[in-house]
Amino acid sequence: MATTAEGFQAHTEDEHHDADHKPGFFARWFMSTNHKDIGTLYLIFAICAGIIGGAISGIMRAELAEPGIQILTQAWPLGASEEGFDAALHHWNVLVTAHGLIMVFFMVMPAMIGGFGNWFVPLMIGAPDMAFPRMNNISFWLTAAGFVSLMISTVVPGAAAGSGAGTGWTVYAPLATYGHDGPAVDFVIFSLHLAGAGSILGATNFITTIFNMRAPGMTLHKMPLFVWSVLITAFLLLLALPVLAAAITMLLTDRNFGTTFFDPAGGGDPVLYQHLFWFFGHPEVYIMILPGFGMVSQIVATFSRKPVFGYLGMAYAMVAIGVVGFVVWAHHMYTVGLDVNTKMYFTAATMVIAVPTGVKIFSWIATMWGGSLEFKSPMVWALGFIFLFTVGGVTGVYLANGGVDDVVHDTYFVVAHFHYVLSMGAVFSLFAGFYYWFPKMSGRMHSELLAHIHFWGFFIGVNVIFFPQHFLGWQGMPRRYPDYAEGYAYWNEISSVGYTIMAVSMLVFFVNLAYAFIAGKRAAPNYWGEGATTLEWTLSSPPPYHQFETLPVIEESQGYHDHRPAAATPATS
Amino acid sequence: MVFWAAIALALAPQGAFAQDAAEAPVAEAAPAEAAAAPAGDAAPAAGGYEPLGPEWIKGQPTAGGWDVQDQFSPIGDTASGLHVGLMWVMGLICIFVLALLVWVIVRYRRGANPTPSKTTHNTFIEVVWTLVPVLILVGIAVPSISLLSDQYESPPEDAVTIKVTGYQWYWGYGYPDNGGFEVISNMMPEDEAKAKGLPALLEVDNRMVVPVDTPLRIQTTAADVIHSFAVPSLWFKIDAVPGRLNERLLTIDEPGIYYGQCSELCGARHGYMPIAVEALPRDQWEAWVRSQPGGSVGDEAEAAPAAPAAAPAAEGGEAAPENADGAEAAAATN
Amino acid sequence: MSTAALERKNLRVGLLGFFGAAAMLGLGYAAVPLYQLFCQVTGFAGTTQRATETDAAVAARIAQSTGASTISIRFDASTSHGMPWTFAPEQVTETVQVGEREMAFFVARNDSAEPITGTATFNVEPEQTGKYFNKIQCFCFTEQTLQPGQEVRMPVLFYIDPAIRDDPNAQGVEQITLSYTFHRKPEPAS
Repeated sequence: MATTAEGFQAHTEDEHHDADHKPGFFARWFMSTNHKDIGTLYLIFAICAGIIGGAISGIMRAELAEPGIQILTQAWPLGASEEGFDAALHHWNVLVTAHGLIMVFFMVMPAMIGGFGNWFVPLMIGAPDMAFPRMNNISFWLTAAGFVSLMISTVVPGAAAGSGAGTGWTVYAPLATYGHDGPAVDFVIFSLHLAGAGSILGATNFITTIFNMRAPGMTLHKMPLFVWSVLITAFLLLLALPVLAAAITMLLTDRNFGTTFFDPAGGGDPVLYQHLFWFFGHPEVYIMILPGFGMVSQIVATFSRKPVFGYLGMAYAMVAIGVVGFVVWAHHMYTVGLDVNTKMYFTAATMVIAVPTGVKIFSWIATMWGGSLEFKSPMVWALGFIFLFTVGGVTGVYLANGGVDDVVHDTYFVVAHFHYVLSMGAVFSLFAGFYYWFPKMSGRMHSELLAHIHFWGFFIGVNVIFFPQHFLGWQGMPRRYPDYAEGYAYWNEISSVGYTIMAVSMLVFFVNLAYAFIAGKRAAPNYWGEGATTLEWTLSSPPPYHQFETLPVIEESQGYHDHRPAAATPATS
Repeated sequence: MVFWAAIALALAPQGAFAQDAAEAPVAEAAPAEAAAAPAGDAAPAAGGYEPLGPEWIKGQPTAGGWDVQDQFSPIGDTASGLHVGLMWVMGLICIFVLALLVWVIVRYRRGANPTPSKTTHNTFIEVVWTLVPVLILVGIAVPSISLLSDQYESPPEDAVTIKVTGYQWYWGYGYPDNGGFEVISNMMPEDEAKAKGLPALLEVDNRMVVPVDTPLRIQTTAADVIHSFAVPSLWFKIDAVPGRLNERLLTIDEPGIYYGQCSELCGARHGYMPIAVEALPRDQWEAWVRSQPGGSVGDEAEAAPAAPAAAPAAEGGEAAPENADGAEAAAATN
Repeated sequence: MSTAALERKNLRVGLLGFFGAAAMLGLGYAAVPLYQLFCQVTGFAGTTQRATETDAAVAARIAQSTGASTISIRFDASTSHGMPWTFAPEQVTETVQVGEREMAFFVARNDSAEPITGTATFNVEPEQTGKYFNKIQCFCFTEQTLQPGQEVRMPVLFYIDPAIRDDPNAQGVEQITLSYTFHRKPEPAS
């Protein structure tokens, strides 16, 4: 194995330039054009954003632990006056908004696409780097600037009641245009513009890289499923984000330049904003989960020592999810006053998505069926993902029913549903991918024990947080409420306890990181052994600064599963 | 944890059935009670109306409740049936996937199966796991579509119309067929509600009073930002959107109090604009209407001139003489 | 493949990507007029139709030939925030002959001490009747300015398309609500 690893690395001694020659600190991290360094930047950025977003949810769970307003009035000690109380309530909305935007745009997306996508798409397709390395750098810094703009929005004047934008991550008109006179909402919009522009550039970069820079012999139908997932995600980004950009730009001009795109007073329609937002917003949820699907496919195959079952079905199921994802948006708007035929159509169309999703779930299980399963940390996270995503998936089918949705629309049931698919689906796949590739990226092994403790703590924690929220939703508790009636107290308290468990498990995660960097064993090129067959495992850990100076070649005889050079491949394939 | 989650899901539908069964006799007893309890001093004279007391609360969350609230509308009965069915489907699918996972974990762990198979295709099983979900979804879609068409049944011409207007942060309930008065409904202060034995954060100063067993034409709009008029125990939720009117039919089966809350983020006090619907027998509702300023029932309402919907504050500026010259002052021709 | 050739190829795919994104951006803006047009044509979201006197005459003849039927119309009036007008229908409900032209009046009074210009938004409920609700004249077609204290009766001349009787979606509809909301015209941006 070690010989193969060296085979793909530039020959450090012989070449006239050094494959591991790195620029100085500033040039390397602030002007980076190296896909691995940019991937690392994205991951560090996502972890930082995740800490902030997670801390915000901690404040929210603390406030919701019991009825009444406790934490908010302490955090903003503005006295017992009506104004002080309103300010506390407004800041609740600011927290809700910030939590949503941070987790969606500055945690999940940067980690999945910017982080793992940048790191492993070129490695997996046998490319030396991304197609547009400098644009890659621009993408990252646009995203970072977007985050700064979002942070600024929380401290500049927002509504009459206080600073920050209390509009929810959806920034619906007219709430965003009426009563939010301060510049906070403008900063939020600007933040989305920057992050969106960064993502569109990134998407173009991925599409170009995947189409043009695959190693010789690696056809589209031989690409690892993670690369497929990033390719489909990139298309979704490219088609969905510009619509958001248009919608929020119109919102911006409505706010500042007297246009009335969404203002009924000038002939506009606030419902149109919702149509535009969700035309982006629904594909967005697949943008957040598809790369997770890809990672889980790689991991399940690796630790089953078996090729992915139904590879083409898996790839085209993701294509189907992406395509259908564009024609189901109004299920987010079931109560807005749609006519009956529209609601029936969106009910039926939404349920269709369950079919390709089911294909994926069953294909993962079939991949493991007959395999030789090893429960290393990435695998337990992937198994957790499969089950919890199933739970989030079936509640999605429940919500797809327009008539049933009436009772749970905008309640905690919806909160529970999308946290099962995101906070458990997307985040479990992120941790699975992180433990899978962390030694590859850092060159140091993490502790398997700590990773398993992290898993169990997190698994129990998030389930205790979010499972009772289904009950709260069925009982009718609306979303985005800082305070609630006595009848909702029971499950809310349990939910807040769950947060504590989850938070403790996150400490274990950071301890594990520290352990790996301080005392972690050096990682071999292929530390997961025989099951790991994609091209990144043919390189050292960490890979050389410039890899694949001699492009790897995928032979005719090699399938989608095993991309290691023939010499190193056991005869079985 | 996994087991706990799955078991809870699996048990849920049974619980729902149990609740349905327990509810039936109560429903039958209710009209009799209704006639007895508030009737004591319910003379039709103005001012004879007394708000129902806490013993009449039917729609509210219960501590530890883990199912939908008991339903008190025909749509709620139909929909909660589908809801129970969906809980079974969800529970069974989760248990099935969990069982498969447990099976592969136990049977195909490295210790038990050191040599992996190389199977990567099986057309039959792939067709099965595509078609079976399709059939399940069709099975869900049929009752779901029929529920939708029930929900969109148009209110009959003689339905009682209530125009619900969302404001930051309170509700207005207009009765255009009954003299056009508007009831302004603010959250009852927490202390006052607690003193009266009513649920804090759900109770209001003036409830939306409606007749029971009568089709209601609920029309919603908003004056500032989007709100959403929602009552979980009536399976009812419709957004109030500024600049447009939404309409749904609602019928309430039993007299009682049904609580709901604004369900679309509308600013700082979003959590403090609850909804309380009080359903009364027809004659008591009529008495309540007559007790309202300008309130009238039946033909008297038809004859009454359209009541101006202006806010009282605006009346101060009414200095100039009226200019109702009858001219089509401002009609634009196409 | 040479580096230069690859760069050209990358540039081509990259530009195609940008064009795709730019096209979607354009589509986002185009959605505003397209959505309006879609609503006007299909009656989506309870959007009423505009008709001419000629259309009305045709509708009346069709209605006469297919036999008279009636439908109840409810008139609804709202004012949005910051609009100091009193605005109400003269009559709350009215039963009309399907296919016949009808005139209804709304009364608006400016309760403030300054001239105010308003525009009205409108829709009908149930929404599926939007494509059968034809307005020949309406105060909502243009802006209205009222002097302080001025009160006007504002007419809307409309008819219900007899085709409503053939639409299974509109079978159970006994009453159509025509709703108007008056908004204060936004001050021009300074």
